[in-house]
This record gives sequence, structure tokens and C-alpha cells, in this order.
Amino acid sequence: MASISISKVNKYFGNTHVIKDVSLDIKSESFTVLVGPSGCGKSTILRMIAGLEEINSGTISIDDKIVNDLPPKERNIAMVFQSYALYPHMTVFDNMAFGLKIEKKSKEEIEQRVMEAAKILQIEEYLKRKPKQLSGGQRQRVAIGRAITRKPKVFLFDEPLSNLDAALRVQMRVELAKLHDQLNATMIYVTHDQTEAMTLANDIVVLDHGIVSQNGTPMNLYNNPENLFVGGFIGSPKMNFIDSKVLSKNSESTEVDVMGSGKLIVPKISLNIQEGDAVKIGVRPEHLILNDKSGALWESKVFVVEKLGSGTYLYLEKQGDPLVVQTDGDTDIKVGDTIKIGFDASRCHLFESNGNSFKSI
Amino acid sequence: MKVKNLLTYCLISSLFLFLLISIWKILVTLQGIVLTNFNFNNLYIFGIVLSLLNLLIGKKFNLNVKVIILSFTFTIFDFFISVNLPIWYSFGIFLVSVFFFNTIKNYDKIFLSKNHSSQQLFFKFLTFFGITLFSFVILFPFYMMLITSFKTQALLLINPLDFSINFTKGIPELFKSYLIVFKDYNFGKYMLTSTIVSLGTVIITLVFAIPAAYAVARLNFFGKNFISTSILIIYLFPAIVLVIPLYTIFSQLGLRNSIEGLLIVYTATTLPVAIYMLQGYFKSIPKELEEAGIIDGQNWLGIILKIILPLSLPAISSVALYVFMIAWNEFLFSLMFLDRPNSFTLSRAIQFLNIGAETPRQYLMAGSVVVTLPILIIFVYFEKYLVSGLTAGSVKG
Repeated sequence: MASISISKVNKYFGNTHVIKDVSLDIKSESFTVLVGPSGCGKSTILRMIAGLEEINSGTISIDDKIVNDLPPKERNIAMVFQSYALYPHMTVFDNMAFGLKIEKKSKEEIEQRVMEAAKILQIEEYLKRKPKQLSGGQRQRVAIGRAITRKPKVFLFDEPLSNLDAALRVQMRVELAKLHDQLNATMIYVTHDQTEAMTLANDIVVLDHGIVSQNGTPMNLYNNPENLFVGGFIGSPKMNFIDSKVLSKNSESTEVDVMGSGKLIVPKISLNIQEGDAVKIGVRPEHLILNDKSGALWESKVFVVEKLGSGTYLYLEKQGDPLVVQTDGDTDIKVGDTIKIGFDASRCHLFESNGNSFKSI
Repeated sequence: MKVKNLLTYCLISSLFLFLLISIWKILVTLQGIVLTNFNFNNLYIFGIVLSLLNLLIGKKFNLNVKVIILSFTFTIFDFFISVNLPIWYSFGIFLVSVFFFNTIKNYDKIFLSKNHSSQQLFFKFLTFFGITLFSFVILFPFYMMLITSFKTQALLLINPLDFSINFTKGIPELFKSYLIVFKDYNFGKYMLTSTIVSLGTVIITLVFAIPAAYAVARLNFFGKNFISTSILIIYLFPAIVLVIPLYTIFSQLGLRNSIEGLLIVYTATTLPVAIYMLQGYFKSIPKELEEAGIIDGQNWLGIILKIILPLSLPAISSVALYVFMIAWNEFLFSLMFLDRPNSFTLSRAIQFLNIGAETPRQYLMAGSVVVTLPILIIFVYFEKYLVSGLTAGSVKG
């Protein structure tokens, strides 16, 4: 299939600099997810790859061929829109055959390709219907089918699941993953939902204000966030941040203070940090240890208990944002209880005041 | 039951009955019947009494039976207070009262004891008043026109205010004026000219308006905002201001008395509104549809022809209808620019008929019916295209 290379791309909307010197390499046959909060430029990057948006500087190449000035149809890509963008006046079959008809394919080939795509997506029985006679999930399938029939080198998905309800979203997520395995195509997927990113991607690109914050495999991003933004963005519920300061440091670890009630020796280092500097401890709710008798460092009152069945989230009072702790589903901790918290130092992250993370040794 | 609700109910409902009866009486007078006494006071009071009776009966027995009984009572009452009137007059009264009692049959004491009943009553009857009154105002002249066109010169001279139709003389005699209008006054040719001019205007306007509206709605170019806001500026100039300079120019260019000249003027006057209407609709079509078309490999023209146009069919047909009506009915420019009968349009031809004092009035009216009828038929046919909601299902809404 096709690899995509984006090099030093800049984009302005009027005076707003939305994409700032972004460089990215997307491997052939990978499933790359661009993720970030609204307005971070992820859709713009996708639209630039598609050719719907012009680039102010830099290059985009597909298979080592610079495509900056090629119109979308010559880039051999297909795009699935958030709003489906099905042609309402055409039947499902015509929607899926539209691109092929423009390419002047023979009738038999069009028929065969549409049926093939319909079979993959299990929409054969709807081919004669109009889009308005379909449910949201079916419409999105047709939109994906329209992309598949053209056998493009690259599939672009612009938040394709965000108009679906929660149950359908999970189902379509699984189907998209299956589809990627079946088609072996390069897929680029834009979403603001980090769960979708974690579950679907081979590679996640986290974007923040028009720059690439971090780029890597889902587990790499989860385990080794390079900065505060990625740490906070990946993972649900989000990572807890605790203001702290460095007590001492050596070549293997850094000793930090935990809210004045204890010390923690974290096996991470940074060369830019001196003793006494302000840092942030980042620790995920699932890595806090509850009622840890030996290593308990801190205690506080529970003010919200969220029971999910498979687990329970406890919100503890703390200066600033509350501290979220994940524990068993059948815990009997109630609102108002005071609980002790222990920290697993090896799973804690440290961030400098400029947001960069400490390195593991 | 609240006093306010009760009063509103009695006054408004019998006022409505009163209005209906009055309209019927006016129509009856036009049929040549002389009403010596209108009996409005008696009818109004009896209307209130029957409305109250309707309220008291409520839903105690079958509503349709109630409607028939009340209507019959009213008709009998009217029959006795008005003297020497034909039976079809009373039958009309009966139909009018059936319509009236049918609208109020659902009201009972329980309804009137609710808080918002008087508002509900008020707005319901306001709608009825509006519909009845305005349909009468609109339809009556048309009725007059139609009736006059079926008359003979002699009948018109005997009693110009007799609006009845005499069916006894047979169809050919009835449509005599139409035959004469087409045979002697050449209306067939005028109709053809009008059709050519109107259809031509529609086609030329759409050919220019669709790309222009698309450009204003979607493309970014220098001065776009100025253009999109200044489209309607032409309407700051009344036609009468433009007509004299245009007359001089057209005279010099030899465009007077020509269909081409009319096409130019009509297109120029309808284009702005056409662009304005279309661009509003084009803007409402989701941009993603076009982007999907671009990704599918469609070029700019293909997107307009295969995506925008099919989706804009309701807007385009209403614009076409609007332009057609303007061109068909236009009078000022055709009066100024056309002075040879062989290039007349229908509206100009009617005015030409009217000039000679010797032209009988029934021909004039027959001509007017000929002018109006095509528009009516076209409107009824096109109406089904004027439904919106064609974009339903394309995007999540």
C-alpha cells in the first residue's frame, strides 16, 4: 500500500497559524490515529493529506511522490466524513458506485466492486435504499463502503464514529479494526476520543495547538508520556497531577515531596532540574495503592464514589484538582470515609515546570 | 366554566357564523335574488343561542347528529324570517351552518373551564376568519372575471351586475368569447409569444443564476461580500426610472418590438432575486457533500450538475416559477417596448383590447382568463416540487 510523509508543513487560516512546522511519517499499512482536543489541527492535517485544504509551506508525499499540487482524485485516497456526507438523492448502490462511474469503469466491474464492499460491510440488503431510510450506523457503513469500492491506497477517517451512540460506536470500532486487518490499507483516523485512539491505532499522534506533542505506539504513550499534555490526554480517567518539589537527586532517581506528608523516590531523572525546583508528580488512578499499610504516604476524605461495576473511582479531597483512585468494583468505601493512599514509585511520572517529563533510566 | 371563556366563545363563534352567512348572502345577491331584509340582528342573536345550546348538549350524544340537528334548526329559523326565497338559498344556508357547527362541535363545558380556552378559541377563529375573508377577497374578482367572460353582449347590457351563469344555451355559446378572442383577436399568437418570452427568461435566468449563486455561496474571491450584499441593489431603482433610458437605448439598437429585447430586460430584472434565493439554498447544502464529490474525483462542473442541482430542485423550481410568473405578468416594459401587434405579449394584448371603446367587456375578461389560467395550472403542477427536506438523510441532523 502506501506510506505518507509530511515534512515541515505549515498552515494559516487568515492570521491564525494552525499547523506549525509539523513533520510526520506514516508507515505503509499502518493504522495511525491523530488525536487531540478540538482546535488542535488534527482535522486540518487530514484535509491537507486529502487535498481539500492547501498547504502554505512544506511538503506532503504519498509513496515518495510529492502531492502538494495534486487534486484529491489523483492522490488515490478515500475519505469518510463525520457527517457521512452521503448523496441524499442517490441510492446506497449509486452512492458507492459514484466514484467508479466517474472513473468510467465498466458496468460489470462497478457491480462487482460494490457488491464486494457491501459484503464486507454487510449492507447488501440496503443497496436499493436511499440514505434517509437508513439508521446512523448503516449510513456510516455506506460511507465506509463508498471509500472501499474505490480501492484507494490511503483511507482517511474524519471522526467517523462521533455521530453514533455509545453502543454503536464500540461496535463500529471493532468493525473498523477488523476492516483494517482485511484490507491491509494505510488508514489515518482523526478523533478526539482517546479510547478510540488507544484501541484502534498502531501509531498514535497526539496533537496540541498545531504541533505534534508525541508520536508512538499506544502503550508507549501510556507508559512514557513525553510531556504533561500527553500524560493528561492519554488514559481514562486522566492522570492525577500533584504539585511537588525536588528534595534530592542522584544519577538514578529523584526524591520528591508528596503533599508535605511523605517522600517518594522515583527512578526517573532530569538534567535540567536542581534540588528545590518545583515539579509535578503524575500518577494514573489505576496505579495508586489503596489502604497501603506499609508505604502509605497520604490520607484524605472521599467525596465522590463512582461505581462502574468492573471498578470504582474514588475522588479524594486535595489542594487543586481532586485525586482520583481506581479500585475494585465491589469495594465498600463510602462518601465521607478517610482512606490512606500509597504510591508505586516505579509507575509515577515526573514533569518539569515547563511540562517536559523526566527520563527513565 | 369561566365567564371570560364563555363570553369569548359566544361572541367569536356567532360572529364567525355571521361572517359566513353574510358571504353567502352577498353571493346570493349576485345570482339576481333581491334580499329585502338581511335579518342580521335576528340571525346574530339566534347564532348565540344555538352556540350556547351546542355547549349545553356537549358530548351527550353523537356529535354528527348534533351538527345536523343544530344546522337544521338554524336553517328553519332563517327560512321563516326571510320571505319568498328559493329552496337552493336555504340549502346554502344549511351547508354553511353545517360547516360552522362542525367546527364548534367539540366544545363543551369542560373545555370552557380550562385556563387557556379563550386564547385557543381566539386563535382558532382568527385563522378561520383570515382564511374565509381573504379567500373571498381573492376569489371573488376571479369569479367575476370568469362569469363575465361567459356572458353575451346583450346580457351584459341588460344587467351588468347579474353574476349568474346561463347554462341553457349550450357549451359553444358559453365559450363564444374565448373563440372570438383566439380567432379574431389573435390571442393564440400572443400566447405563443408570451410562452417563448417567459420560458426563455426562465432558462436564461437559471443559466446565469445557478453558477453565480454557487460562486457567491461557496467560492472565495475578491469582493465576494460586496457582490453578495449588493445583488439586490437593482431593486433600489423603480422600473419606471429605468424604462425611459432603456427605451432610448433599445430604439437605437433596434431592440424594440423584439423578443430578444424583452428577454434582456426580463432576465436583468429577475436575475438578482434568482441569485439571492439560490445562494441562500446552496449555502444550506452541507459542504461535506461537495467535498465527498471532490474526493470521488468529480470536477467543479460535475459537482454542480450531479450533486448541487439535484439537491436544489425545490429551490430551482420555485425560482423558475417565480421568474416565469414575473415574465408572464410583466406589463410596464412590454407596454413601452412593444407597439406592433405582431410582437405583443398577452398582458400587452389585453391592454390593447381595452384601448378601443368598442371592444366588448366579455372579450376582455376572456382574455384575462387566458392570461391567468396557465399560471394557475403551472403553479398547481409545480407545487409538489416546492417541498423541502430533500437533503434529509445526507448528514446527521
